Amino acid sequence: MNEAYTNNLLMIDLSNNTHEILPTSKPLTADFIGGKGFGAKLLFDNLAPDTDPLGPDNLLMFFPGPLTGTMAPAMRGCVVTKSPLTGIFLDSYFGGSLAAEIKYAGYDGIIVKGRAKQPVYLWISDNRVEICDAGHLWGADTLEANRLIKNELDDDSIKIATIGQAGENKILYSLICCEYNRQAGRGGAGAVMGSKNLKAIAVKGSKLVNIHDPGEFKKACQDAVLELEQSPDVEALRVAGTASAIEYANETGLLPHKNYQYGTFARASKIADKGQSKHLWLGSNACMGCPIRCSKIGAVRTGKYKGFVTDIIEYESAALLGSNLDISDIRAVAHLVKLCDLYGMDSMSTGTIIGFAMEACEKGLIEAPGGIDLKFGSIEAAEYLIHAIANLKDPLGKLLSKGVKQAARVIGNHAEDIAVHTKGLESPAWGPRGVSGMALALMTTDRGGCHQRGFPVSYELGGEWNGTPLDPLSPEGKAQMVVALQNYSAGTDTVVKCDFGTFGISEKTYIRMLSAATGRVYSSDIFYITGERIWNVVRLFNLSQGLDISEDMLPRRFVEEPLPDGPAKGHRISKKDMAYMKKEYYKKRGWDENGVPLETTLKRLRIDYARSNQ
Amino acid sequence: MDLFGGYNPRLSRLVILNKKENLYHFPVVCNQCENAYCMNVCPTKAIKRNADGIVVIDPEKCIACGLCADYCPIKVVCLDPETGKAFKCELCQGKPLCIEACPTKALELVRMDNKGKINE
Ligand code: SF4
Ligand code: SF4
Ligand code: SF4
Repeated sequence: MNEAYTNNLLMIDLSNNTHEILPTSKPLTADFIGGKGFGAKLLFDNLAPDTDPLGPDNLLMFFPGPLTGTMAPAMRGCVVTKSPLTGIFLDSYFGGSLAAEIKYAGYDGIIVKGRAKQPVYLWISDNRVEICDAGHLWGADTLEANRLIKNELDDDSIKIATIGQAGENKILYSLICCEYNRQAGRGGAGAVMGSKNLKAIAVKGSKLVNIHDPGEFKKACQDAVLELEQSPDVEALRVAGTASAIEYANETGLLPHKNYQYGTFARASKIADKGQSKHLWLGSNACMGCPIRCSKIGAVRTGKYKGFVTDIIEYESAALLGSNLDISDIRAVAHLVKLCDLYGMDSMSTGTIIGFAMEACEKGLIEAPGGIDLKFGSIEAAEYLIHAIANLKDPLGKLLSKGVKQAARVIGNHAEDIAVHTKGLESPAWGPRGVSGMALALMTTDRGGCHQRGFPVSYELGGEWNGTPLDPLSPEGKAQMVVALQNYSAGTDTVVKCDFGTFGISEKTYIRMLSAATGRVYSSDIFYITGERIWNVVRLFNLSQGLDISEDMLPRRFVEEPLPDGPAKGHRISKKDMAYMKKEYYKKRGWDENGVPLETTLKRLRIDYARSNQ
Repeated sequence: MDLFGGYNPRLSRLVILNKKENLYHFPVVCNQCENAYCMNVCPTKAIKRNADGIVVIDPEKCIACGLCADYCPIKVVCLDPETGKAFKCELCQGKPLCIEACPTKALELVRMDNKGKINE
């Protein structure tokens, strides 16, 4: 039957050197659609409470969505696992072409469990699955490993996910590099891969992704492209990618500066699209088949760091390894980001942790390593720390490799006051003190400090959501907006969409594409319902893994220290506001006052807790 | 999609080559070679040049041996995953779909003489 799903899940057991193909079950596709939904359900069903994220029992899963690998615009893939950084659910998204290749090889997902005795890589070519020796690849950086495997298999067209030295050394925020310049970046999926002794996954697929109703599907895709064309936000992304957000964040006082102490940066334009287009960019780039093409590609051609290819420096990386560290030389920032990419380390968490170390050193909480002037603005210090962390080189590198939450605990002496994270995941580059809805979104995200599970900023600053007026500084009316945004985002993460696609493509068109592709009928609120179901399953999972609900909160900096600059100057999110929004939020979610989903909520969403928990 | 009923860019008759960490992109299409190796190696003479100078494959005569795909210097012959028969760019009867689909109008159809001059 032609239906966009391949109906196969590839399960690989590295401990026993075996693999099997499991059917993608009907109830799974009906209730969870794909992508994040599959990941949430499978993690919840298969991980015992308190599973060691770096032990053999953790699952490392790669999912394309039902629309990935088709003509549907702006689709990606996701990695789902239990995060070693936060100890809870982790989903991390990647563009490029790897996710589509998984579909072409004939799989709705690749699930890896166990741990290989020696370093290995997986070579998946349609039905052929080989576990190959990777002894000679261990120690190579992400791109070197990619190149070596392509040479070894004598095929440039293979798509490969790799880890670098950071993943091998189990740095808790190491990433999986999905060629090129596309990363499953956040939360330490690379460390999980490293803990399994898995250096890489190489995929080649020759099969077709079939469509139930090709005529209608084509029409729906054409409408989606048209909707993208009509969106001014998409046009802005096409012109300057996410780099265009830097000036916006600076003007609105949301741009982190000096470990989030401030919300503006006087030299912001140097690291924004203006500086980047002058010093870095040569052309545009896109994930497979995406008409948005938000990426720029170029090279650092001159100066101290010259001679390497660089992608656009995305907003988050530019803010966290640039303005947050008081560094404005874009070529230096590109150099730092490239180091992170090659080692395979999340540039967001790395930026936050270096900012933390700089402030801690300036405040006398830690000592600088010999010969290093560990202070804001020092490119050398930032570079030193990246090497030290990735290679576990000196005591400070080792300490910082655990993430900002654990590092602050070890340092003691109120270092926790300047550690900026939620649930252990370093915060994204959107200081929320001037936008309380964003604050609530950060408090309640399923994977910790993340801006992608609901991004109310534009509605709050625009002063309106769904026809109701909004005051960005007030805690009123934020809970229902955040719940709705989170549900929709999780719901569409099942197909697996790129967030930027939602700037143009309407809910109706997503449903039309999905329905034409799979041949199934969906209700008009399918994404909200599925998203809510996922959100509750993930909550149950997180609670089963020991989530402490007092962690549904903001880092102290945003609560106790009023913003010193920008349009929201003087504002902070008070404890009272936090408590108010949290209470409203739990209520809207159908959770009790301890943040536990109520029986009635689970029943309404058809979540069979007893069966799931067997 | 239209030919094989599903999606996979490996079966596309226009290939985008990416080089150097995606810094460079090259669209590669059949050159309709004057000395066409695909035609030279075909054991059944299934490949012919038509009146417009386009190198075309007759699926009736094709025995799915795959030699043309092996010997095309730029690897733009693809094989039907089911039947094994060969397919290549035949310029869609003079109205190439790739040109219609390209959002940035990067492609156009021109006629060149054997000295490489473009004839309007
Ligand atoms: S919008 Fe950008 S990141 Fe998203 S799929 Fe398109 S090219 Fe990739
Ligand atoms: S298929 Fe290859 S060999 Fe044949 S005409 Fe085209 S480019 Fe030349
Ligand atoms: S695959 Fe068909 S067209 Fe190609 S060489 Fe063989 S017979 Fe000729």
